[in-house]
Amino acid sequence: MHRLYVIPTLVINAAIIAIPALLTIMLAFYRWDGISSPVFVGLSNFESLWHDRVFWTALTNNLIWTVIFLTVPIAMGLLAATMMLVARRGSTFFQVVYFLPVIIATAITARIWQGMIYSPITGIFGLLERYGLEVANPLTQVHTALYGIAVVDLWHWWGFLCVIFFAALRQVPQDQVEAARVEGATFFQLMRYVLLPGIKPTIMLMLIMTVIWSFLVFDFVYILTQGGPAYSSEVLSTLAYRSAFYDLAVGKAAAVSVVISMFGLVATFFYIRAQAKEFEE
Amino acid sequence: MKHVSMKMTVAGGALLALSGGAMAQENISFWYESANPDQQVWMQDILIDGFEAENPDYKLTIDYRGNELDKQLRVAMLSGSGPDVVYTPGPSYVAPMAQNGQLLALDEYAGKYGWNDSILPVFLEMGRYDGKLYALPKTYETLGLYYNKSLFDENGWSVPTTIAELETLADQMLEKDIQPFSAGNADWRGANEWFVSIVLNSVAGPDNVYAALKGEMPWTAEPFVEAIETLNGWWEKGYFGANYFSIESGEQTIDLLAAGKAGMSPNGTWAFQNVPTYFDKAGTEPGFVGFPSKSGDPVFALGVGSTFSIAASSDVADGAAAVIDHIFSPGFYGTMGSVWQGEWNMPLRDLSGVEMSADVPPLYTQAMADLAESVGEGSYGYTTWTFLPPATNNALINGIEEVWLDRVSVPEYLATIDAQFQTEMAEGKVPAIPNR
Repeated sequence: MHRLYVIPTLVINAAIIAIPALLTIMLAFYRWDGISSPVFVGLSNFESLWHDRVFWTALTNNLIWTVIFLTVPIAMGLLAATMMLVARRGSTFFQVVYFLPVIIATAITARIWQGMIYSPITGIFGLLERYGLEVANPLTQVHTALYGIAVVDLWHWWGFLCVIFFAALRQVPQDQVEAARVEGATFFQLMRYVLLPGIKPTIMLMLIMTVIWSFLVFDFVYILTQGGPAYSSEVLSTLAYRSAFYDLAVGKAAAVSVVISMFGLVATFFYIRAQAKEFEE
Repeated sequence: MKHVSMKMTVAGGALLALSGGAMAQENISFWYESANPDQQVWMQDILIDGFEAENPDYKLTIDYRGNELDKQLRVAMLSGSGPDVVYTPGPSYVAPMAQNGQLLALDEYAGKYGWNDSILPVFLEMGRYDGKLYALPKTYETLGLYYNKSLFDENGWSVPTTIAELETLADQMLEKDIQPFSAGNADWRGANEWFVSIVLNSVAGPDNVYAALKGEMPWTAEPFVEAIETLNGWWEKGYFGANYFSIESGEQTIDLLAAGKAGMSPNGTWAFQNVPTYFDKAGTEPGFVGFPSKSGDPVFALGVGSTFSIAASSDVADGAAAVIDHIFSPGFYGTMGSVWQGEWNMPLRDLSGVEMSADVPPLYTQAMADLAESVGEGSYGYTTWTFLPPATNNALINGIEEVWLDRVSVPEYLATIDAQFQTEMAEGKVPAIPNR
């Protein structure tokens, strides 16, 4: 009888996740403009992706993005959380300050950075230029566009990790921390041998989720550069979006989405394995 | 108590009468893109109230769907739940929708309302699929050269008519630290294609573009190479300035032009809506001419940004046709055109019955008259967003940035466009191209 309780969530999952996902996988093997009837083309969409240099640029950018987000915000979050743990005074205030960018809508954050910071006409960069310090808008240069977007997303994101890590650090048994201190452990030794091992499951979860989220990144890229200039900040999701809604090539977009899901799937596999292991322990 | 129940009876009666009245009206739905608060007031006063006063049997409801209208529309049309009046983003959408039976053929209404006589024939041809009329263009537009007349007078510059004159003038501007072209694409990457459309028509020429659109000439042919190399040369010389990717294509470009920071702006007639605001603010005088060409005769590239159709699933098709007819009336043209320039320029054959407000800038009226004349003479050019199929157009928009930023060569860029065009042509996705 108690198994019946899962039915509502199962139905919701099937309707909004399983069926659309299956349809997307199916569409990846069709040529469809979103208006007329789909035509089966086998692996042709994947083949054209293989020969499409924009696809490879997008995939590379997703990998760069993943590396950035696996390191920078996690390191920043861990450092700030540890600092807050060590110096308890004002930690609530700092938590609020660090967390604030997370609750601002993505579109607003992006527009603020685009118009009020990066813009050479209306932003701080323009002001600096007027004072003789020329700083190029990173969003307009092919070699910096992706990093310019990443900075915005980092600003928006790292506070979330900080708060998560801080919450986890507070769960580390206080007697272990005290014992280490009594033994004369330095700050780095405390981190290395007590705190980090204590929150390892949380770090693992965040790392795996970061991989999944990195392949889903869309909002900041689309608002700030739309993948440009010259495809230099294109990621897989913006490529899929443009294919579906501008090229009217829904089949190709579905094929890109399948590739995105593959990476997500690998990360999910590791996540589930890590969860199972933790459960066993 | 008796008094209260009396009041309730009267109120109930009034409600019944109101609902009875409302029930007698048939509801017509119309999804529009975005409109600012002023524009929404004009839509209410001029379109909705104007239409309902003439057609009391119908109630027109306009739903503002924002910039993502085209995506919502495609999904809704596919599921048969779209609006009655179908407002598509351009002729390239009409063929696939008609092909899939989502649109109603308008030939019967064209006969009833006399559209075949009142609308310029070129535009009727663009809305045909398989010999039947499925769409009427909402507005037509062109590209040209805006300039700061005050700045020109101050420096003794004359308005260029040829590409060579344009380049000489732009070089002189650069020497004076004035940016030749005010342009940007920070908000709308599609702005790139305005400049590609300009060089395709002004350097390669409309006859060559027509031949390519008909599949009689590849996009890799020499005239197109010359056109794109010219555009790339302008980019490399710095005509577009250092901040092209940071500047917004709409108001900021006109602001910079009006302020004299830039001398010229290659732009569309839709930009007229920002001209009075910024030139009045700067206290300068605007100018507008057809874009200079290689031959010296200005080429007016013809653009149709959106079209009207009726959904095949509509149960108030007669009402939807009446809405479209109302929009194509001289009265609506004059009233709406007087307050909202550049957005409601329906291709009426005879504008003698149109009364425009004295506040409409003469530059705008002249530009539209020049375009109408060139369309009438069949000497117009082709904008890429109107006549190219979607994926080709997208490759053209994004690819030109790769040329500008030295990531691909001009021949490689054109080869990509040509390959995409041939694929889409084989799939029947090229919009109807009226005969020259």
